[in-house]
Amino acid sequence: MRIRIFHTEGFRIAAIFVAIFALSATILAVVTLEVVNQELRDQIVQFANADIGSVRDGYRTEGEDEAREVVGQRMAAPGASDFFLLQRGASTKVAGNLPPMTPRTGILTLPYPGDRAGRTILGVGSFIAPDLYVFSGSDLRTAQMARQRILRTLIWIFAGAVALALLGGMIVSRGFLHRADEIATTCRAIMAGNLASRIPVRGTEDELDRLSETINAMLDRIAALMDNLRQITNDIAHDLRTPVTHLRHRLERARDRASSVEDYDHALEAAIAASDDILALFSALLRIAQIEGGVRRLAFAPLDLSSLLAQLGDVFGPVAEDAHHHLRLSLNGPSIISGDRELLVQAFSNLIENAILHTPDETIVTINLSRENDEAVVTVSDDGPGVPPSEHQKLFQRFYRLEASRTRPGYGLGLALVAAIAELHDARTTIHETNGKGFSISVRLPLASQAS
Amino acid sequence: MKILLIEDDPETADHICHALRAQGHDVEERRTGTDGLASARSGQYAALIVDRMLPGLDGLSLVRQLRDEGFQTPVLFLTTMTGIDDRVAGLNVGGDDYLAKPFALAELVARINAITRRGEPGPPVILRADDLEMDLIRRTVHRGGKPVDLQPQEFRLLEYMLRNAGRLVTRSMLLENVWDLHFDPRTNIVETHMSRLRAKMDRGYTREMIHTIRGNGYILRAD
Repeated sequence: MRIRIFHTEGFRIAAIFVAIFALSATILAVVTLEVVNQELRDQIVQFANADIGSVRDGYRTEGEDEAREVVGQRMAAPGASDFFLLQRGASTKVAGNLPPMTPRTGILTLPYPGDRAGRTILGVGSFIAPDLYVFSGSDLRTAQMARQRILRTLIWIFAGAVALALLGGMIVSRGFLHRADEIATTCRAIMAGNLASRIPVRGTEDELDRLSETINAMLDRIAALMDNLRQITNDIAHDLRTPVTHLRHRLERARDRASSVEDYDHALEAAIAASDDILALFSALLRIAQIEGGVRRLAFAPLDLSSLLAQLGDVFGPVAEDAHHHLRLSLNGPSIISGDRELLVQAFSNLIENAILHTPDETIVTINLSRENDEAVVTVSDDGPGVPPSEHQKLFQRFYRLEASRTRPGYGLGLALVAAIAELHDARTTIHETNGKGFSISVRLPLASQAS
Repeated sequence: MKILLIEDDPETADHICHALRAQGHDVEERRTGTDGLASARSGQYAALIVDRMLPGLDGLSLVRQLRDEGFQTPVLFLTTMTGIDDRVAGLNVGGDDYLAKPFALAELVARINAITRRGEPGPPVILRADDLEMDLIRRTVHRGGKPVDLQPQEFRLLEYMLRNAGRLVTRSMLLENVWDLHFDPRTNIVETHMSRLRAKMDRGYTREMIHTIRGNGYILRAD
């Protein structure tokens, strides 16, 4: 943990911030020190100028003695310069606490009297008369000490800030690391086979929460697809076993009992028919799976449901009539949707065929197309005996068949296919409550927007 | 009729060859797309049977290439039953028909016969068989000079039968070409419409024109 933390994104960000802070703090310190230094030097020079002014005033009003007097007073006064020199000519000291020196004018620095290495005096030199030179100045040590104090303070502040930033970074990283660990743990759990495992979400709505939610949603989707796949595999395994077993029995019986060419012919015909059934079942299952995969949506085009249903009416009208049923159409004008014509034809044909095949003679089958809000509603209903409400939801399951229809041909895949096709079209399929008066199923398809 | 079969699975190829040869066709086989394309370029075949999945060059690319080069040889695609979009894709690149495996051999033979028929020049305006006459412009049908009143779907059904007169037409060929239905219905759509058409056509005649071939389909026979 202690080593890993330095490799976390949180810590890296903290480190970058510390570096930026350090750089700006250093610049700030340098500038501050320079400003302070300049200010102190200005102050020393100001004092010196004021002192020199006083000495010059004294000399002008009352002569050299007064100047000497003033120097004495200024040396003793607080708030004035530390060092003075009143000198006549090139080397005659008149007053002050500095040894005589070569007179220079303007702002100057002098070595400290005696031998105190490293210390300097800053001051101003000036002639108050052609032969009378005055120097006034102060020890720069005060300025240097102030500078050092400020520097020390800044270093402390700097160190404290860096420490705090690193600590903060560590805390943030540890949180980050903890959550990254949670994600990794979840992923490992899933790899190990616990597919229901999900990343904990804290509800803080931060980036990591959002990331976790997205990953969880992805896992849900994958789980749903896998469930679907597992379901299909189970269905295939379960429902293909029966017909394949039958086929095998039939062939076995033919081998053991057939005695004439005719018998063999019969057996082979039956075997071919049985294998055709198996293949048809197989391809129906794969077709559903493929539709559920959603690839087919790429082939969507605008189409008019009313002309599609009218066409189906023409196809199935005579079929219904031959089966002693009545097929009625009620289409209320064109309804343009976006979809796959071939699949929709198959879905509606399926519903119509169901209504014809699973109801007694003289049943009236009605195909109704209406528009509600933004949807086209296709309803296929009949006035047959209906389906108990408890069975409604099961009707969409693969291979589900009502007891009454088990003896009729079919695999119970029709409505599962309808549901898959409807879902591909973002359509909702509903079975209506009819109180035992017939069966009615609706498919609600979103109408194509005017723009498209 | 000389047919080129491009199919990589030896067993399927063998199966198809036997059936076509039994019908008196001359069949040549190729196992890969590249070999198949090279042979098809000779232009000596009346029809091509092309599997969708082939080593070297897939069937779709093969036919696209052939059509780009201007060859109009009729093509029947073969495909596995899983590819629900294969039919449209196959027709889009210039295939003439499409058959999903597994199929009955009679179905294959019937479809080969139907697509090779399409190559005949000039779309006829009037279709005839014996005393039956269909005017495609006026949309009228006469038998023995007397009008036969048909519904639009019955007309389309009869038109398809007439265009394929003398050849076996399977149920699925009718479903696809007459009603544009691409699934296996559970109701007897074909039988129902066929019996209505027959009732109208043969009313007052002793000789039937459309014959049922049990288990396979129908033939319109002109004697």
